[in-house]
Amino acid sequence: MGVILEVKNLTKKFGGLTAVNDFSFEIKRGEFVGLIGPNGAGKTTVFNLISGFEKPNSGSIRFDGMDITGLKPYQIVNLGLVRTFQLVRSFHYMSVLDNVSVACLSPRGKKASEKVGLDKYASRILSEVGLIDKARFPPVILPHGDLRRLEIGKAAGTNPQILLLDEPFSGLSYEEQEHIHALIRRLSNEGVTIFITGHVLRELMNLVPRVIAMHQGKFITDGSPQEVANHKLVLEAYLGRGGGIA
Amino acid sequence: MPKKIRSKVSNTVSGTKNFFLGIPRATRNLYKEIPHQVKSFKEWIFTFRGSLTILCLIGTILVPLITMDDYIMTILISFLVFSIFAASWDLLAGYTGQVSFGHSVFFGIGAYVAAAFVKMAGLPWFFSMIIGAVAAILVGLIIGIPCLRLKGPYLALGTQAFSLILFNLFMSGELKDILGSTEGISALPAMSEAHIVTFFFILIIMVISFIILTIIVKSNIGTIFKAIRDDETAADASGINTTKYKLIAFMISGFFAGIAGGLFALNSRAVNPSVFLALYSFYAIVMVALGGIATISGSVVGAFIYWVILTELFKPMGALGTIFLYFPTLISALILIIMIRFADQGILKPALEHIREFYDFLLGR
Ligand SMILES: Nc1ncnc2c1ncn2[C@@H]1O[C@H](COP(=O)(O)OP(=O)(O)O)[C@@H](O)[C@H]1O
Ligand SMILES: [Mg+2]
Repeated sequence: MGVILEVKNLTKKFGGLTAVNDFSFEIKRGEFVGLIGPNGAGKTTVFNLISGFEKPNSGSIRFDGMDITGLKPYQIVNLGLVRTFQLVRSFHYMSVLDNVSVACLSPRGKKASEKVGLDKYASRILSEVGLIDKARFPPVILPHGDLRRLEIGKAAGTNPQILLLDEPFSGLSYEEQEHIHALIRRLSNEGVTIFITGHVLRELMNLVPRVIAMHQGKFITDGSPQEVANHKLVLEAYLGRGGGIA
Repeated sequence: MPKKIRSKVSNTVSGTKNFFLGIPRATRNLYKEIPHQVKSFKEWIFTFRGSLTILCLIGTILVPLITMDDYIMTILISFLVFSIFAASWDLLAGYTGQVSFGHSVFFGIGAYVAAAFVKMAGLPWFFSMIIGAVAAILVGLIIGIPCLRLKGPYLALGTQAFSLILFNLFMSGELKDILGSTEGISALPAMSEAHIVTFFFILIIMVISFIILTIIVKSNIGTIFKAIRDDETAADASGINTTKYKLIAFMISGFFAGIAGGLFALNSRAVNPSVFLALYSFYAIVMVALGGIATISGSVVGAFIYWVILTELFKPMGALGTIFLYFPTLISALILIIMIRFADQGILKPALEHIREFYDFLLGR
């Protein structure tokens, strides 16, 4: 299995603050990897840099053997690298079905949806994320858990090779978390490479076989959940900030 | 929808982004299921909206057959021309979220180019009109490219600046040799001998324009436009080249505004630099606000209210009528403020709902 995502010496500064500091890692095709760190560690910024929403001060990002540093977000999406947002973003005044259709209308999504037909393809994705009963509703009336699923459904519409999920569990009830768990597992089993962030260790520990930990923009460690959970610096980062480790 | 969901809506909606000029801030109906889109024409005719549209169209066709009064014809033609213009603004602002305050640029270019080709080159009016509209597309590109980075009020100001530049350019007389000086181009040949024929030409062009615009907003491209309007970043993250589609919206909108401008000049048989005035951009905005934003068909209602009902209403009012005639900006601004404050959905949608409720009531449903 080859490397699908290779991040090298990534650095991003916001004024005097170094949000991401000389950060490097690799993800292999088909892997299921978590990125953890307390709030403010720089996880979202890493995602923004990889997906092209922010430009790094230095460092490079290679996806599928291609240098994608500096490409525009939509170009990166159409190569097959897709991200979701920590604060869900939906098209408020369009139906849930149309929300997914937009992604299916991107050049990459179109290629995948053309054979089946747009409506059918988008409906199929909605069934998969469990929103088919609400296809005709505008997203504003959906509960938060549904919006998170829609967020994943929209990403799935572009037919991604690798999916970057930014805190897909935050603010969800235990039950809703279980739904999203199952959904992400299914995507992973279908062969989509998954890179997922979380600031609560417990949420990711049971889900992913490999975890990368970061703190204050810096790489700390990379390994199995057990190794990472017992790492001295990880414990310090969390306990020092009073974050929940249980 | 049960009450429970309704209260949830008010909680959620307060957190969503408010768009400039209330586009589309009409959140009242959001708790409702979005109805399934009618895809075929046959199906559409038998819907409530479809039959109403056909009825209105028949009504419009009948008017000149009943009375050939020049005054009525003039008013109706203004209504038709400006409904195309308003709909073109609605596509750009209501559907794509690109609020332009310089829409008179497209209108003016369409008007000037059409007039110039009829007068100087002696081309038939139809071809001149199309050339004018194509010129408006090019101008849409020229304006669109620098303005695409601007958002919200800044885009409005940026586009407005272009209309000021063009107004001053045409006023300055620099283009005297081809496009006339401050007095513009006049004494154009009439579109046809009989007023009634002109009326039907314009009606046909208007109906075709609305069919095309409606097809566009209901098609996949329309879905992408709406996505850009609702959340540009999310559209980007969905793999949509937002720059490209915003430019396409500018071009389509420019084309139809150019058609409207061309018809305006050809019908009045004259054009002068005042077509670039902010007033004309304002007309489009007010008519869309009256009819209902992001509806396309609302533009017809808005144009009808503005050019037919209000004109007739103010005419016998003495001093007030004079104000309406000589200070249209003042009246337009008042209407706009009232609409944004009290009826951000415009008139069409709520009215249709009430008519439909009444209809259901009559049928005992
Ligand atoms: N656009 C920005 N401008 C300034 N500072 C930012 C910006 N984005 C993030 N930061 C800062 O960078 C740090 C990392 O933030 P973030 O990546 O959101 O962390 P996480 O997602 O791990 O909670 C925080 O201190 C945050 O305040
Ligand atoms: Mg974050």
